[in-house]
Amino acid sequence: MNALERHRKLTAIWASEPGFRGWFSTVNHNDLGRMFLVTSFFFFIIGGLLAMLIRVQLATPHSAFAGPEIYNQIFTMHGTIMMFLFAIPTFEGLAIYLLPKILGTRDLAFPRLTAYGFWCYAFGGTMMLTAMVFGIAPDGGWFMYPPLTGAIHSPGINTDFWLIGITFVEISAIAAAVEITVSILKFRAPGMSLDKMPIFAWYALITALMILTGFPPLILGSILLEVERAFGFPFFQVELGGDSLLWQHLFWLFGHPEVYIIFLPAAGVISTVLPVMCRTTLLGYGWIVASAVALAFLSFGLWVHHMFTTGIPHMGLAFFSAASTLVAVPTGVQIFAWIGTMWKGRPELRLPMLHLLGFFFTFVIGGLTGVMVAVVPFDWQAHDTAFITAHLHYVLFGGFVFPIFAGVYYWLPHVTGRKRFFHLGEFAFALVFLGFHVTFLAMHWVGLLGQRRRISTYAPEDGWTAINLISSVGSFVLAIGIGMILIDVVLHALTATRGRRNPWGAGTLEWAMMTPAPAYNFASLPHVTGREPLTLLPDLATALARGEGYLGEPRHGWRETLTVDIASGKPDMHVLYPANTRLPILMSAVTGVFFVSLLLKFYWTIPVAVVGVAYLAWRWAWVLGRTDDPQVRPVGHGVELPDAAATDRPPGWWGSVFLLTANATFFGSLLFGFAFLWTIAPGWPPPRWFAASPVWLGAGIIGAVLSPVSMRLAIRTNRRGGGPVPGVVLSLAGTAALGLTCAAMMLGTPPPAEHAYNATLFVLGSYGLFHATLAMLMTVFLAARVLRGFTSAVRRAEFAIVGLWIDYACITGVLILLAGHLPTLLS
Amino acid sequence: MKDVIRMLIAPLAWLGSFSAVYGLHGLLCGHWIGGAVSDVPLARTLLIGAYGLAMLIQLTLLVALYHPRIGAPPGLVRFVSRATGWVGLVATGWSLFPVVVTTYCS
Repeated sequence: MNALERHRKLTAIWASEPGFRGWFSTVNHNDLGRMFLVTSFFFFIIGGLLAMLIRVQLATPHSAFAGPEIYNQIFTMHGTIMMFLFAIPTFEGLAIYLLPKILGTRDLAFPRLTAYGFWCYAFGGTMMLTAMVFGIAPDGGWFMYPPLTGAIHSPGINTDFWLIGITFVEISAIAAAVEITVSILKFRAPGMSLDKMPIFAWYALITALMILTGFPPLILGSILLEVERAFGFPFFQVELGGDSLLWQHLFWLFGHPEVYIIFLPAAGVISTVLPVMCRTTLLGYGWIVASAVALAFLSFGLWVHHMFTTGIPHMGLAFFSAASTLVAVPTGVQIFAWIGTMWKGRPELRLPMLHLLGFFFTFVIGGLTGVMVAVVPFDWQAHDTAFITAHLHYVLFGGFVFPIFAGVYYWLPHVTGRKRFFHLGEFAFALVFLGFHVTFLAMHWVGLLGQRRRISTYAPEDGWTAINLISSVGSFVLAIGIGMILIDVVLHALTATRGRRNPWGAGTLEWAMMTPAPAYNFASLPHVTGREPLTLLPDLATALARGEGYLGEPRHGWRETLTVDIASGKPDMHVLYPANTRLPILMSAVTGVFFVSLLLKFYWTIPVAVVGVAYLAWRWAWVLGRTDDPQVRPVGHGVELPDAAATDRPPGWWGSVFLLTANATFFGSLLFGFAFLWTIAPGWPPPRWFAASPVWLGAGIIGAVLSPVSMRLAIRTNRRGGGPVPGVVLSLAGTAALGLTCAAMMLGTPPPAEHAYNATLFVLGSYGLFHATLAMLMTVFLAARVLRGFTSAVRRAEFAIVGLWIDYACITGVLILLAGHLPTLLS
Repeated sequence: MKDVIRMLIAPLAWLGSFSAVYGLHGLLCGHWIGGAVSDVPLARTLLIGAYGLAMLIQLTLLVALYHPRIGAPPGLVRFVSRATGWVGLVATGWSLFPVVVTTYCS
């Protein structure tokens, strides 16, 4: 088979449906990555327009451009859109488009999950925009602090749009993070051990793990606040045992790592693009990886520095001040590694490099003002002033937007297959750079003069008029520059001439394919022997197109790839992907019905949506698998691999591990909230305690032990070729007992609206009941699969996955029962 | 997976100990734990004890990461795991140092 025939066959197998119908059924990472990026830049334009409105309002004193109600919506939506609908999805889009290419594989681990995540993002974002069009957008600031956002002070639907819309969008972030983590760890080219992994993949891996552990506290906080608003559960009401500081803790447990979640992927772009622009290799690869890991962890120990003015004791302030200063060290290591890279190379001032220089200048200033606000006495002076707004824009625009523009111009020839023709970009960069610094240097200044953030107007005698006008003029220059970049990109995509394959002379694998990339990426998968495979083997692209790598012969119409051992990069599984389907868009639409029902208080449609999601999830899993035992399959180069269904650690198991990691963080945050209220909130002890029962506690624990033990018995019996059904049924009974005891705890709790103690116990019980029900559904699914012949001693993967979820449900269930029953029993 | 754990364990232990000491501090202040041990207030003693324990854990991890049987084989993972081991130790020493010097419930 020659290269052209191979290309045609692979395209027929991997391509999405032709025309616009393909948008709705595609599960291909090329399509979805581009869809993510186009959508996120659409939101960037909306967020930018809102920023212009803010600057128009503040350009003159006593401005009548927008009243305070509308102005509150404008700045709230600006922050919300930029953080949740632009920055994170841009990372997701870039990672989804790029990762399989730089890792040398054909797609991400779970293509349908990628599509589901995209549609949740698109629908959730649309929900937020709809609110804005109707003038009922969120207006409590992007932090959404209660009690301002509680039902008493914000009775309208505005806040609900934020809480429900953002939670909907966060499903997309969690889905993408699971996808990215498993893909990087398992879906790499053979030979690509951890030390040969491209630096962007390291950054993406660390960012994805941070999303999995950073976002759940926000999701929890949003759920608790929405439950308080809808049903009166007083988690944040001081007079009923709640505490509004709990929201701040949960929000900033997410919010501070969020800054690094935004910065780290951009740092990955810098570490990839900079050496190419400097005609050299990255200096200090190991140091950079270690620094990124350190930065990720340290970022989780800084959240209270956003709360320095809330009356926290000195020692608490000192902990977080110390940790905040420490975070400058790994950031500095990366900056010096990049400076060293420039020093040892021969930098060429091409357009991506200009944006990288913009990053250096801007981000370092933002980092230094960050160290200033990490010092408590200074923070007390600058807190909630325009100085903070300026600081965060230096960090986020400098640390994200400049590197992303560098990345856009660097990978644009890859996406379009064209070379730049209209050189609008250089002039646009100058405008962006100039406009940005005029806008935000002025904002530092006016902040130090006392202008508070989020004010809708000010008086001439405040002395801020000239500075605000300068800032507003700068912001319009900035906007014109960004507009020109977007025009430049569109002109390039539509009109530029065809370019050659690797215009930058880069060494990473994404350039070892035709551009624009075909749906299957590589006609055959490479064997990687170094960090820059194209530098080591300049003819690699041609060899892969000729089918000289792994899986070079298309067969049976399969979308096939292989996975590797995490550390060594040795091939370990053969994987078959599902084909195009509308299941993801349908499932996200039904998920949307659930969220819209909550928003509009149409409670009767909620069970319908829940049943719909459960049915579609069942179908999602049911269409996979086979009823005959798969053979070990040759994948080329003399290597034979088992099918993923015939292993104990299939991709679904890895996906479950990381999804449960996020879930465990959510649960840990809930326990933290319970402990926080119990020890810190002023309205404790509660007027009534939960009536604990040693019988219910004992029954729950017995169920929680019975279920995983029985499942293990079933797994063992299945592997020996015996009938696993009795073990599965016993496991089901155990989980049912656990679920019943959690339900009993919910029913036995005093009225949840009476006190935060009752409300928290009720939510804990609900969590236990939900997970027991989920485990039961999965067990019933497994039983159905066993009875229909989808499992055997060889095809055992589904047992491992269900076993994992049962273990999780039982461990958390026992902790919940102990948290509810033990305090009363012991007292 | 072992290699991933080697790289993450020390900063993870820092995160755990940092949160635990902050939580202990909240508990001590929230419930006004009184008493003294050898003229040192009980609350301060407990906080310094927790700090010492956190440092001990980090030192143990660092020694383990340098141990030929427990640490990673030569290469990137060994370098990164040892570097993050030092990060855990330094971060613990620096970020929990306030338990020794600052007032604890004011």
